[in-house]
Amino acid sequence: MFGGLHSPRPLPEEGALAAVARTFTPRVEAPSPTPVLLDLSGLGRRWPTPQELGRALLDAAASRAIEAQAALAFSRATALVLARARPGLTVVPAGGEGAALAPLPLEHLDVGAERLSLLRRWGLRTIGDLARLSPVSLAARFGPEGPRLARLARGEDDGVFVPAPLPERFETTLELDWPVDGLEPLAFLLGRVLEPLCASLAARGAKASSLAVSLGLVDGTTHALSLRPAAPSGEARTWRTLVLLDLEAHPPRDAIVRVTARAEPTPVRAVQFSLLDPAQPSPERLAETMARLHAWTAEGRSGSPQLVDTHRPGAFAVSTFAPPPLPRGRRGEPPPFPRVALRAYRPPRLAHVELRGGAPSFVSAPGVRGAVAACAGPWRASGDWWDVAWSREEWDVLLALPRGPAPGGGLYRIFLDRLREEWFVEGELD
Amino acid sequence: MSAVPLPAEAPTPSPAERKRALEELLRARRLQAQAPPLRGEDRRLPLVTGIAGVDALVGGGFPRGALSEVHGPASSGRTGVLLGLLTRATRGGALAALVDPLDRFDPASAAAAGMELARLLWLRGPRIAAEEASAKALADASAAVATLASSGLFDVVALDLVDAARERRRLPTATWLRLQRLVEGTTTAVVLVAEEHVACGPGGARLALEPVAPRWSGPPGPARLLGALAARARAGRHALRGADFALAAL
Repeated sequence: MFGGLHSPRPLPEEGALAAVARTFTPRVEAPSPTPVLLDLSGLGRRWPTPQELGRALLDAAASRAIEAQAALAFSRATALVLARARPGLTVVPAGGEGAALAPLPLEHLDVGAERLSLLRRWGLRTIGDLARLSPVSLAARFGPEGPRLARLARGEDDGVFVPAPLPERFETTLELDWPVDGLEPLAFLLGRVLEPLCASLAARGAKASSLAVSLGLVDGTTHALSLRPAAPSGEARTWRTLVLLDLEAHPPRDAIVRVTARAEPTPVRAVQFSLLDPAQPSPERLAETMARLHAWTAEGRSGSPQLVDTHRPGAFAVSTFAPPPLPRGRRGEPPPFPRVALRAYRPPRLAHVELRGGAPSFVSAPGVRGAVAACAGPWRASGDWWDVAWSREEWDVLLALPRGPAPGGGLYRIFLDRLREEWFVEGELD
Repeated sequence: MSAVPLPAEAPTPSPAERKRALEELLRARRLQAQAPPLRGEDRRLPLVTGIAGVDALVGGGFPRGALSEVHGPASSGRTGVLLGLLTRATRGGALAALVDPLDRFDPASAAAAGMELARLLWLRGPRIAAEEASAKALADASAAVATLASSGLFDVVALDLVDAARERRRLPTATWLRLQRLVEGTTTAVVLVAEEHVACGPGGARLALEPVAPRWSGPPGPARLLGALAARARAGRHALRGADFALAAL
């Protein structure tokens, strides 16, 4: 037997009706918050008659402040339609589905607005009117949909019952007999919390994309932390290390009496590796390493450098380090021959520059000082006049440093900021 | 009566044909040798910079599982050689890390060198105006190198110690010994870049660079460009072996 449970009023929360249904049976079909369909097979020993079972359903809904109406029938379609159409409890005996549905208006049948208007133009008013039509005639007019409509109107089921899986919570709590102070004993306790959690994730073929840990403290407060590494992990050891590293950086202010860990599951992603390409880094180990470098990552001082689409000198961005696989074919390309690199001074060092014949003849800046032995320039560039404008005159200069090595000093890139009329050393060419 | 032709004998290859066949065979073998290594095999080869003279000096490349160093004065090509090493590693599909306590790395130079920037982890020092790194920044940087080297994820971990000579001397000498011990037996090459000799492990490469002279595109004048940076590299404990090289300008 099947049961339909429907609430004509707004629900206190979206899954409230399905939650009521799950207190009776785990086999619940809930494609929308209301109505929901229950498979009631096997409940006869607890509720001997359908009327008792129906009343128990309505009472359970009322106890959660839900105004519900229920219908029990031997066909799913009948139970759903009657639950929507009739207030209170409706129980349909076996074989009485068609008769129970017949007096109901056509609007209660889920046929779509366009088809409903067509059926009305044909002069049909009730579900019984539709049930009396020949399925062959309906098939001639509606195609394969016609016989389905006829079966629906007679209260016959189409398809199979598909129970919705129970939403799972991956959460473990450990209440401690004695307060724990310090990370070393906590590491052992975290293992006891995280290992069953990761085992239950693995049993469902899932990993945790994030982990929320809540530590109940002696003073009654809670120390909460949330971790979301770059890649999901199902390793208890990795999560324990990440939690301990976070607690090292942000220790709780009192001893701990309760540990709760809640994981957000994500399906395991299968990756096909290549025979020739280098192995990709293990996501767990990468996340662990980045967590160990938290002093650098927390201040945004680590990541992958990225060029930005501008001509402004020295412009770049730093993104999160998440190396993608090397594009196919890129590996075989020979890279260009190594070039001179700039060792950038950030910010550029303010310099005093003496000119002779329009070219720099002496440069003095913190850490850089000497007569210019040779130079190339000037190279003028400007941009961003619509935003923060910049304009500069660039020179590459070879300095004969007084304390430098024998063949000469260093090569530096200097520039004149034409808006501020000041010289700067941008960096060393090395 | 028509004459029945005798069956032709198999022609004997001439010496020239034999030579050609042999050359083809050799070419095929060489191509086979140049084929990309299978998965995992490339983590045993030394790491090259792409500068043939320099790679030959250090025995075919910077060795894995050892602490190596590149040192030299300003504009001797230290950074160019380092970027060449990081570029070859990242273009081969490996990961590389650069610990840069003085925040001197220029992403535009690395991109011009052809580096796969997405495969480089850059740890930048604090943004300071001073030209010297603080002792704490260097201690943090050496700890970060130890973390990266022990992770086993990176083929190259480089530490840039240029312009930090004074504070570097305040670091305990055991720092480098510990780093060498840590990296032994791994597939990671740790490379220090500095102005002068810092430390080099027993199996590591020690490369000393000195500037020769920059090359300019022409006589002094407005259209002149920096052409290349010429330098001399010496390797070995007593720097007996040497090679000249030049890095093209940006």
